[in-house]
Amino acid sequence: MNNLFQYVPGNSLIHRLNPVSKLLLTVVICIAAFITDHIAVLLALLALDVLIGVTAGIAGRTWSILRGLLKIAAFLFLLQVLLIRGGTPVFWIITDLGLLNAAKVVLRLTVVCLPLALVLAVTRISDLTNALVQVLHVPYRYAFTLATAIRFIPQFLEEMSGIMEAQTARGVAFDQARGLKKFSMILPLCAPLLISSVRRTDQTAVAAEVRGFALRTRASAYKRYPFTRVDNAAVVFCAALLAAAILI
Amino acid sequence: MIKVQDVSFTYKDETHPALEGINLEVPEGGFLGIIGPAGAGKTTLARAVAGIIPHHYTGDFYGSITVNGLDTVDSSLIDLSRLVGIVFQDVESQIISPMVEDELLYGLENFGVPREEIPERMEDALRRVGIPELRDRSISSLSGGQRQKVAIASVIALKPRVLVMDEPTGELDPRSSRQVFSLLKSLNEDLGITVIVIEQKIMLLCEFARQLAVMNEGKIVRAGHTREVLVHAEELEALGVNCPRVTTLSRLLAVKTGLELPPCVDLDTAERMVRGLMI
Ligand SMILES: Nc1ncnc2c1ncn2[C@@H]1O[C@H](COP(=O)(O)OP(=O)(O)OP(=O)(O)O)[C@@H](O)[C@H]1O
Ligand SMILES: [Mg+2]
Repeated sequence: MNNLFQYVPGNSLIHRLNPVSKLLLTVVICIAAFITDHIAVLLALLALDVLIGVTAGIAGRTWSILRGLLKIAAFLFLLQVLLIRGGTPVFWIITDLGLLNAAKVVLRLTVVCLPLALVLAVTRISDLTNALVQVLHVPYRYAFTLATAIRFIPQFLEEMSGIMEAQTARGVAFDQARGLKKFSMILPLCAPLLISSVRRTDQTAVAAEVRGFALRTRASAYKRYPFTRVDNAAVVFCAALLAAAILI
Repeated sequence: MIKVQDVSFTYKDETHPALEGINLEVPEGGFLGIIGPAGAGKTTLARAVAGIIPHHYTGDFYGSITVNGLDTVDSSLIDLSRLVGIVFQDVESQIISPMVEDELLYGLENFGVPREEIPERMEDALRRVGIPELRDRSISSLSGGQRQKVAIASVIALKPRVLVMDEPTGELDPRSSRQVFSLLKSLNEDLGITVIVIEQKIMLLCEFARQLAVMNEGKIVRAGHTREVLVHAEELEALGVNCPRVTTLSRLLAVKTGLELPPCVDLDTAERMVRGLMI
């Protein structure tokens, strides 16, 4: 779980795309998934997600994210199937419409979540913030906030599992609990964790401050993020994808 | 270089002052060690010297601190941070970027170091700290000690005139601890950087620091040249600060023999003294 959000170094075409192009592609895939009402289009988008993952040389990571999503998807699917009433019954209270809609919801969720996780795997966070500031003119303080939040995810999870281990050693049986029960056991741990995180981020803010945070401008970053021909192609591709989702 | 005059500070919403009547002077190119029990106010003093107090942590601040003629209250934190580099006690929260290279770039970029100078500064900093091979690694793949070194490198890359280190060897084994102090020594001697280091390992301070300040409950209870401070070894021990064994030995010898013996801080002088006694 910890390294699910971590950058995987590489030199693939996907890695070399401008971070802004990667974000654009992600956003367009998400929008397309919400616009379309065809299961075939959703399946095509899922195939595209996986293709991106494979091209970037992170098939393994893609697979483990998919597997993680599968659990949530299965739960959602069941819920939908049982709740949707319209259509002709197929079996017991399950209808054909229910099955179709449930499948769409689950696919949509997967199609949207997968690229969001993948973009973090193929982009360094610093490149992401730098490019947001340089290319999209996002104010640095917002980009910094985003970067810090992402940077603290693994640390947060690490501390969480540390606390859970400590609790387990004191006889709390996290591993035997499931679902809601487990959730209610973890919840009280979140408060102290949050407090220590806030204290931490405050220190990080000071560390940034004494290293010239306030002086940083759009021109500060050492690296440059030019839009290349590949990026232009990616933009055209995104436009086509969006058009297809709307028209089909 | 650094002049602390009658400084008292109470954190906002606290009743007890964290610093009380602090007076201290560190000359340009000096090497000051600060020691004292937990909660003595060492970190608070370090923050005050770097201007983080009162610019970031607010509270009641009395007295004055000047660094190279700049008053820490009147000057902006930006101007001060060009002068003073600080490495925090909790290195984890000091590191901003997820990659080593970016961590070093951060300050260099912000302070507007010319582009053509940046690669050299980065390499130089990494080499001085002894971790040139870690440049392309991600922070999360590093050990505590390696992170410590990355934090130090990212600060010395900025070439500060004053370097403040808050317990830099807290996570290090004895060998790496010595390496850090050797590094501080070379920065101090080769580049003339004024060093202030908070440290619990008294042996290291005795060997490397020229000045020593002992803190307790927000006050400086002893300050001066390292040797002078060690004359009061029993006072330090009362505070729970361990003295080097040679110092304790020489003090006991002085007491037992009734002779006027100077305190020893290293083995060589102790050996010479003992040999001298035996003749
Ligand atoms: N951010 C803060 N807000 C309020 N009080 C604080 C803050 N930081 C420190 N203090 C208080 O100030 C006093 C001195 O703390 P300080 O951290 O300077 O001690 P220290 O000598 O560095 O201790 P240690 O060896 O544990 O690092 C303590 O009583 C502490 O509780
Ligand atoms: Mg401290």
